[in-house]
Amino acid sequence: MPAVPQAITAHAKVLRSDARVLAECAERLREIGARLDGGGVAPEWLRETVNAHIAACTAASADLAEAATRLHVYADRTRR
Amino acid sequence: MSGADASGNHPRSDARGEAVPAGGAPAQSPQAADTPAEVTPAGGALPQGALAEGAAAAQPLLRTAARELAEIGVAIQEASVHATAALTDGAVLGALPYAPAEGYRAQRALLRAVTDRRGLGYAVAGGRLGALAARLGGMAGAESLAVLVLATSLRLRITAVALDHPELVDDPLLGRLIGAVGADRDIESVRALRALLRDRGAVRTLSELAPVFGEVLALRALLDENPLNDTAAWLIATGKGYASADPIIGLSNRAVAVLDTGEGGARRLEPTPAEAARLSSKGSLLDFLRNLGALGTTGRVLIQSVAGPDGVVRHVVQAPGMRSGRPDNDSPQDLLGAFSSAVLDSGPYSRALIKAVDDFGIPPGGEIALIGHSAGGAAIMNLAQDPEFCARYTVTHAVAVGSPVDFKKPADPRTWIASVTNQHDIIPTLDGQGAGGCFDLHPGWYVVDYFDPTHLFPICHSIEHYTANLADDLPEARDRIDRQLTPYRGPVTRSQVYLLSDRDPHPEGFPFLTVPTYPAATSRGTLELPVRCQDGSALTAYFAADPGVAATLLEGTGLGPAVQVAGRALVAVHAFWNRRTSLGGYREVHLGIVVHDPWRARPFRVWPDLVRRADRRRSGSFLVDSVVDTDTVSAVAPEIWGCEPSVAPLDVAVTARSARIVAGGPDDRLLTFRGPLGPGIPAGAWDLVGYSHREGATLRSCVETRGRGRAHPAPRARLTVGQAAHPMARHLRELGLDGARPLLCLSAVAHQTLRAAGAPVRTT
Repeated sequence: MPAVPQAITAHAKVLRSDARVLAECAERLREIGARLDGGGVAPEWLRETVNAHIAACTAASADLAEAATRLHVYADRTRR
Repeated sequence: MSGADASGNHPRSDARGEAVPAGGAPAQSPQAADTPAEVTPAGGALPQGALAEGAAAAQPLLRTAARELAEIGVAIQEASVHATAALTDGAVLGALPYAPAEGYRAQRALLRAVTDRRGLGYAVAGGRLGALAARLGGMAGAESLAVLVLATSLRLRITAVALDHPELVDDPLLGRLIGAVGADRDIESVRALRALLRDRGAVRTLSELAPVFGEVLALRALLDENPLNDTAAWLIATGKGYASADPIIGLSNRAVAVLDTGEGGARRLEPTPAEAARLSSKGSLLDFLRNLGALGTTGRVLIQSVAGPDGVVRHVVQAPGMRSGRPDNDSPQDLLGAFSSAVLDSGPYSRALIKAVDDFGIPPGGEIALIGHSAGGAAIMNLAQDPEFCARYTVTHAVAVGSPVDFKKPADPRTWIASVTNQHDIIPTLDGQGAGGCFDLHPGWYVVDYFDPTHLFPICHSIEHYTANLADDLPEARDRIDRQLTPYRGPVTRSQVYLLSDRDPHPEGFPFLTVPTYPAATSRGTLELPVRCQDGSALTAYFAADPGVAATLLEGTGLGPAVQVAGRALVAVHAFWNRRTSLGGYREVHLGIVVHDPWRARPFRVWPDLVRRADRRRSGSFLVDSVVDTDTVSAVAPEIWGCEPSVAPLDVAVTARSARIVAGGPDDRLLTFRGPLGPGIPAGAWDLVGYSHREGATLRSCVETRGRGRAHPAPRARLTVGQAAHPMARHLRELGLDGARPLLCLSAVAHQTLRAAGAPVRTT
């Protein structure tokens, strides 16, 4: 039984890290969009698409962070 | 390298770095040595001339953005895999009884993370359960954020390519197809493709789509409902490897490639005089490519030794592309061979190449340059990435022209590699990476990725077209490769053509001609018996002749009487063209009277006996007259077989439908047998038993035959006897056969024969 909380905690840590990665992805997407806009080479469809990706990455980051928090609580509870 | 030039072409090359060649033979060009590597993304070289300045700046921006988007897609996918792993972990589920409320909330949060349309989308991935769920989701059309980001990356790649190829977006039909694919509008995609095919035909459609072929297929595969092609699409979109399956239906490439089996074989072959004259006598890129053109796609390769400027002899392996014909034949250059060469690290083509190189006799450590076109380019790259081969020899250069080689990796990092591809050539894009590539897959290679007005595939794939482009339109690229090939630029000291096969060929004639041989002393020296014919053809024509004349001809031989048909004597004309024998090539024509068993005539049982194998046959043809067309055979025949042939010009041509046999020259014609043979009944080739009489002794000789024959029961050919004084002509006239039509003909278009020496038989 002691191994189970550790396994759950390990998942939580990975997901917490992934939430940060997804937030960084949103930021990178924003930079890419700005760079192409600034260079005047962005196709017409790009801005809307990139904005959708940014929103999705932000939402996914929040989902993963929420899952990580829930897993931490779950792991703590199983330790008692 | 250049934009619009005087020729009207628009070549663009992308130099992506150089390495010092392996083997201590650095290029002599100071420019090559001094010029730092231009490391730019694939297809992202700065275009010149033809492109507007804005477009020139846009290409690297778009390709860099596409690459970054692919990286983001991969990162999102990894997060999806992690979340799926947590959701499906048995340990996490197993702890639910200890904290049911918290566990439920955690599971709910995980499920939401991998299914939230506003977040990761339908992102179940990784593991057995995840893969199964992902496939089910794919079939239902549920898409993940990672896939959507990769699709955006592919669309940016297409946008970048369209700067060089504005027709991709300006052309309404092409633009409609690409737009529909990118927007995941399935029905519209199919309609657009149909319209394109109807308007342009398949060849032009493929040619025009070629620059973005990989991207369009990957885009379609990512967004369609077929889960089988997702991995291939993912590999194309992320540049992480060779497309593992075809991106349309998802048929595994490896499953197809493993059908191409064989350890590879190579046999020395002499080129025809015309081909030999076309082979270059000096070394340079264009010379090697012209050699490939001279060889053609005939299943052959060429290895040459070249004396370099430093006097060192080096070797150049030149491998052409796919051989036309059936998809899977004896050659490793067939369609399957081309496929396996591209997909696998080793295939029959590269294994056969190794055997050719080993046979050529290159000393250990000898320096080798590899030049290949199309499938040959993939095969030579397989040699370059074979550690054992590279341990035996020093592969200094590999130049692949029009080949899918993006995921080949040379075993020796010092091997200098050049890849030349026309953006409208679809073959190099079969590994999934083409003009739209945005990944720096091989920074040390010299890549020439260009386009010209010849958009039509397969013309733009031909070796002649590539050679012409390099000769006329890509001078900088040609010079740069030639500078690297400087150690190989000198006079050719040796050339050897090899015919490659999937497997080591059997010894010629095996097993029929694999027999013990023995020497026989003749007036022309010692011969090896039995005489073995690897390739020949034959015709026997049976006639009904004057029985009295036949009886006269048999007098004193101890043979006879002649076999009779409706009161007439059965007489045969036997003609052979022995194209390749242990006595050399020769033709022969015999006039024979068909005779019974010398000891016991059996008028009715002779007919089945005539079609028995020679070793069991008692009847045979008494050879009255014989003609051959070589002095050697004429001289040795009496000593070996007992017949005494004269020498005369002979023509023996036998096909499944007709025959032409001409004996004698125009002024002393002995006979002409010419015309259609009529319907043929397939059967095995027939043996011949010949009796001859010489110096009071009778000899029985057998011609054992293997091959396919035909019996023609209603031949329409006729025999015309000439006016020559030759005994054969005279006997034919006396037998009443001038103008005769045969009763039956037996033909063999291709057969093998064995002839032992004649055995004496006591007939009196």
